[in-house]
Amino acid sequence: MLASLQKRLHDTVRQGVFHPQFHFLAYALLGVLLLLPQLTGLVTVGLFTRIFVLAVFGMSYDLLRGYAGIINLGHALFFGGGTYIAGIVFANYGTSPSMLGLAVLGTTAYAMLAALLMGKIAFRGGNVVACAMITLALGEIVRQIAESWRAVTHGADGLTFPIPMMFRDRVALYYYALAFMVIMMLALRQFIMSPTGRVLLAIRENEQRAIFLGYNTASYKLVALQVAGVVCGWSGVMFALTSRFANTELLTVQQTLNALLVTIVGGTGTLYGAIVGTAFVQLAQHTLLGLRGVHPIFERWLLFFGAIYVFVVLFMPTGIVGLYQRFISHWLQPVKPR
Amino acid sequence: MSNPIIWTKDLTVSFGAHRVVDNVSIAIDQGVFTTIIGPNGAGKTSLFNLISGLIKPTSGQVFMRGTDITHLSPIERVKMGMGRSFQLTNLFPALTVHENVRLAVQARSDLGLDMWRPFHRFRAINDEVESLLGDVRLTEKRSFLAAHLTHSEQRKLELAMVLSLKPAVLLLDEPTAGMALEDVPAMLELLTTIKNDKQITTVLIEHKMDLVASLSDVVIVLASGAILTKGNPSEVADNALVRTAYLGGGKYGAASA
Ligand SMILES: Nc1ncnc2c1ncn2[C@@H]1O[C@H](COP(=O)(O)OP(=O)(O)OP(=O)(O)O)[C@@H](O)[C@H]1O
Ligand SMILES: [Mg+2]
Repeated sequence: MLASLQKRLHDTVRQGVFHPQFHFLAYALLGVLLLLPQLTGLVTVGLFTRIFVLAVFGMSYDLLRGYAGIINLGHALFFGGGTYIAGIVFANYGTSPSMLGLAVLGTTAYAMLAALLMGKIAFRGGNVVACAMITLALGEIVRQIAESWRAVTHGADGLTFPIPMMFRDRVALYYYALAFMVIMMLALRQFIMSPTGRVLLAIRENEQRAIFLGYNTASYKLVALQVAGVVCGWSGVMFALTSRFANTELLTVQQTLNALLVTIVGGTGTLYGAIVGTAFVQLAQHTLLGLRGVHPIFERWLLFFGAIYVFVVLFMPTGIVGLYQRFISHWLQPVKPR
Repeated sequence: MSNPIIWTKDLTVSFGAHRVVDNVSIAIDQGVFTTIIGPNGAGKTSLFNLISGLIKPTSGQVFMRGTDITHLSPIERVKMGMGRSFQLTNLFPALTVHENVRLAVQARSDLGLDMWRPFHRFRAINDEVESLLGDVRLTEKRSFLAAHLTHSEQRKLELAMVLSLKPAVLLLDEPTAGMALEDVPAMLELLTTIKNDKQITTVLIEHKMDLVASLSDVVIVLASGAILTKGNPSEVADNALVRTAYLGGGKYGAASA
């Protein structure tokens, strides 16, 4: 019994494979989150809704960076694309629930196509730096298109739009977003535990060895990008429901870097690290902004933020989740490294 | 009578002005255990890189079972039944020993792009992994990270991974390189088992002459990128040219002394 628990824990710590049955912490947290709207005000509810949606954005990024070892600097094109597509649908075709279906379908098609094009171009040579530069350029192209296609996107002014009735209640939206995050996490986890997901880990660890085992690594990377792109696009649609507004900032590199930082802070290659990281970043930002009244120095919250990032990168290279795992693996260690 | 599974025709590769592999034409016969020896920098690894498709030749061709594979990718060559190990250990360091081998078995199992069923549900694959781990005596280390194994264990792990591809041709680049001396006999035993498996045609690069002598049916001597001589182990050992070639590298004399 204890041995099997130890093995579970060991797998969690060593392989980035996590067994939810072990994570009583996650269940406790879920319980608190289910009760949260009863315990707090609308500001907190709104903040957490945002955390749930952005956490999915972060997880989709982690699938690429933390599992497949792909640096995608144009990832925001999926996120902003989803928000824009939802906004354009709601603004032009109304807000009946079926329009949400249309937005989701449109986003899925867009993300799959964009990922296909991006992957075909970026994974050609197998060079990591070239891949980063190409994805950066593609992201910028999409941002330019959104900015100049004024008739549809309202350009730099941004696009304001109504949303379906069922999402207008803040508390209802909170629960939808929570469910969305949980479902996406479980689905991505299932994907990572599948044979295809395992190959992504192999590629991250040593692409040359994977090739010489006969894996066509480029096509596996393409699958990863498609899955990450579609999930990211959906998080963009959810974001549209929380913001009721889309602007080109959602398509910038800065937006992609937010996902990168969230995975760094939370811990890469864990999925739930992205959730922890997003919560940390959003709550820190919210708290620092709230301290403006106490002292004007907190106006410069970005300054504090920079300091936190530097601290995390220097002293917690495995992020918050990594720190937690080190802590528990210290307590229970079934095998000792040589 | 001879039945080559791999052969090369005037194979040449240059890096800048340096001809690293120079007009090499060899035939590796089916079921014959062939060893390539030669001083450091002779071009042995480069020849493997050409045969396995890691690098493209400047000129010349590579054939496998009668097909010109010169322009095929490494992946296509693996699919045709070519497996190789590397001189520098080449594993998935942050994955467990079991997962390293499992990925190799999965590669051959043709699961396609299964994205939903959990990997540990594939019973047949897991059973095969366990049996391979037993073959290389790594069963007890199954849940260690590859990075945490000793160097000798890592070499055995890599061998298990390549073997799980069930290759028709096995290219082994110095499997004992950097191994502790007391671990060499275990590797020799493993290599002997592989040699006795008639499904596998092995090409070995090796410096340890006692190993070469006891395993090889044919020895090919490479020096400065070109073939110096070829023959059975005792013929090669007696060859005056080989002795001269090794005086520079020194390893032959040292290892056989
Ligand atoms: N990619 C490369 N670019 C430039 N030079 C190279 C490259 N690969 C190999 N060489 C050179 O080619 C020569 C042969 O190298 P190779 O690794 O094939 O020798 P080797 O016979 O395997 O030697 P060793 O016994 O030390 O492993 C060396 O001089 C090496 O420096
Ligand atoms: Mg070599």
